[in-house]
Amino acid sequence: MEQALLLEHVSKRFSGHTAVDDLSLSVPAGTIYGILGPNGAGKSTTLRMVMNILIRDAGRISLLGADPERDREVLRRVGFLPEERGLYRKMNVTDVIVFFAELKGMDRRQARRDAGEWLEKMGLGEWKSAKVETLSKGMQQKVQFIATVLHRPELLILDEPQSGLDPVNQEVLRDTMLEHRRQGKTVLFSTHNMEQAEQLCEAVCIIAQGRKVLDGTLKEVRRANPGSGYVVEFAHPSAEVDRFAADGRRFGTFTPTGEGWRVELAPGADTRALLAALNQLDAPLVRFEREQPSLHEIFVRHVGDAAHPHRVAEAPHA
Amino acid sequence: MHEVMIVLRREFLERVRSKGFWIGTLLTPLFLGALFILPAVLGAGGGREHTLVLVDEAPAGVGDAFVRTLTAPSDDEDADSYRVERAAGPLAQVRADLNRRVLAEEIEAYVVLPADVVQSSEIAYRARNISSFTVQRGISRAASQAVQQERLREAGLQVQEVASLLRPVQLQAARITEQGEDAASAESTFWLAYISGFMIYMLVFLYGINVMRSVLEEKTNRIAEVIVSSVPAGRLMVGKILGVGSVALLQVAVWVGLGALGAWKSNAIAERVGLSPEALRTVSVEPWVLAATIGFFILGFFLYATLFAAVGAAVNSDQEAQQYQTIVFLPLIASLLFMLPVINDPLGSTATTLGLIPFTAPISMSMRLAAAALPPAQVATSLALLALTVGVMAWLSGKIYRVGILSTGKKPTLRELGRWLRAA
Repeated sequence: MEQALLLEHVSKRFSGHTAVDDLSLSVPAGTIYGILGPNGAGKSTTLRMVMNILIRDAGRISLLGADPERDREVLRRVGFLPEERGLYRKMNVTDVIVFFAELKGMDRRQARRDAGEWLEKMGLGEWKSAKVETLSKGMQQKVQFIATVLHRPELLILDEPQSGLDPVNQEVLRDTMLEHRRQGKTVLFSTHNMEQAEQLCEAVCIIAQGRKVLDGTLKEVRRANPGSGYVVEFAHPSAEVDRFAADGRRFGTFTPTGEGWRVELAPGADTRALLAALNQLDAPLVRFEREQPSLHEIFVRHVGDAAHPHRVAEAPHA
Repeated sequence: MHEVMIVLRREFLERVRSKGFWIGTLLTPLFLGALFILPAVLGAGGGREHTLVLVDEAPAGVGDAFVRTLTAPSDDEDADSYRVERAAGPLAQVRADLNRRVLAEEIEAYVVLPADVVQSSEIAYRARNISSFTVQRGISRAASQAVQQERLREAGLQVQEVASLLRPVQLQAARITEQGEDAASAESTFWLAYISGFMIYMLVFLYGINVMRSVLEEKTNRIAEVIVSSVPAGRLMVGKILGVGSVALLQVAVWVGLGALGAWKSNAIAERVGLSPEALRTVSVEPWVLAATIGFFILGFFLYATLFAAVGAAVNSDQEAQQYQTIVFLPLIASLLFMLPVINDPLGSTATTLGLIPFTAPISMSMRLAAAALPPAQVATSLALLALTVGVMAWLSGKIYRVGILSTGKKPTLRELGRWLRAA
């Protein structure tokens, strides 16, 4: 299968506002895919529709090749970690994990064995028979995570998985996501943290106010959103270069960066003429490249004001 | 269907594993038993021996008759017995000494039969503690007999003759059923109807609230979202209600077991409670009546559990639940308010009407089934109406439940609930 998840023109309206508006995206199988957007952009609503928790108003969803609304069985092959985590407080840790795994169709004894292994791996071996309410918040999140992945889903859907995790546990989560990808499985997660997405994702979709802003592989996104500046470096410092930089108005603005310069090209300036001029200088040119904007910069450039929408209270009517 | 079983299993095991369940299950009958038996046992004094002194100033024969009646051996081994000692002289002489002996606890009390007892009908009883009714009743009965005998003798009548003239009438009650006459006493029938109605009320109430709390927990802890991503909400609701219902049935089974044990020892219990042994033994319940009662209990629980589940899903906290749960309680409480009219006239129009309204049927019908022989067709109609209503209510509650467990924020207004019903 090429696509783990395919959304075509999906929309969801709540009383009075459109949470998701004509959204299309495709998540290639075997990748880590990020849905990025500010709070209230419609990320959670999208994931809830994928999991058939909310019923979409329009559009088509193909989850692992099936429509989750018609074929609920497909949901068993998916692991879902909702944004707001929940466990039975009075239950014992292993029982909770086994219960959720059983609902996904896993054999009880198998689930019990695997739960023990996962708890050991996550450093919770001593807590396997403890009541959930006696665990710290971080530990509870680990338990919830184990409950999400125990049935070995082909696709992991994590809604804001990093929120509320301390740096150590963020690392644990990152490793688990990478481990899943190594096993050929797909990870889809939502976040508003661009740095994180940049480190982990192969492909992203940025949405704002329920609409898609852009999507594609990171490489494609970067190529489609080149920076306006160039990075220029020379083999050694030179007075002639300094003079050229100070005088280089016909090409654009030169800003020193420590190792060299950042050149913001003037409108209509010719890149090849600039390169030729730089090559005439006495110090050898060692670097001349298009600036790579960070995902964050791309995001801000596209989303702008939409980054701070008014969040409308969600009242789902399934 | 397998998913329903998984949810059911969790709901059942989590409850049955808790200490609270077993404490409640075992303490309730103990508590109820104690409520009946303790006063009887304590009030009876448990067959103690009492040492009294009699100050006899009465006409000859009265004192002897009093002592004879009081110390006569009883067939009841639990009855109190008396040792009576006669005072050496008239009250004026022995009073100070008797008071001292009572205070020193050498004797329990002294009784004075004054010289004019036949005319005045008054005797005196002096003790440190005058709260034991059985002792005072025993003494007063013995003195009355002694005085009455003396009066009859003065009037020239024979005691036995008068006693046989004044013998009271005994009422023998029996229910007429399809199978003929059933010699249950009114007393035992009343208690059976009362207990079966009240038990169903209590169980439906407690376990209904239990379902509501459990739904609310899943909602406020955001567990619902995780589960609904694996299991359709309707199956979650059904699994939960069946799970909690199984716990209730287990509890009833334990109680019935204890009850059977009690019935086995019913002679001893009846004696202590003061019912005649026949009263308990003759409560015979036909199998179909028992089955119908259990049917009303199960369907009644389903009816209210689905409503409570909807309430739990609609609100966000226990406080908010109060308001809606009152609406659900009303028909339950109404059935209790009509308890006496229904038991007193189980075939009357009030009882019949309440028995046909599905919301009051579970409690009213269980009381009527115990109190009278109902036409089976009427029972079947009531059960069918109830089952139908359970179906409709489960369907409506399911809609509210599906939307409710995933929505947070403010409590929905009735209009919003209406929209939920239309939307789902």
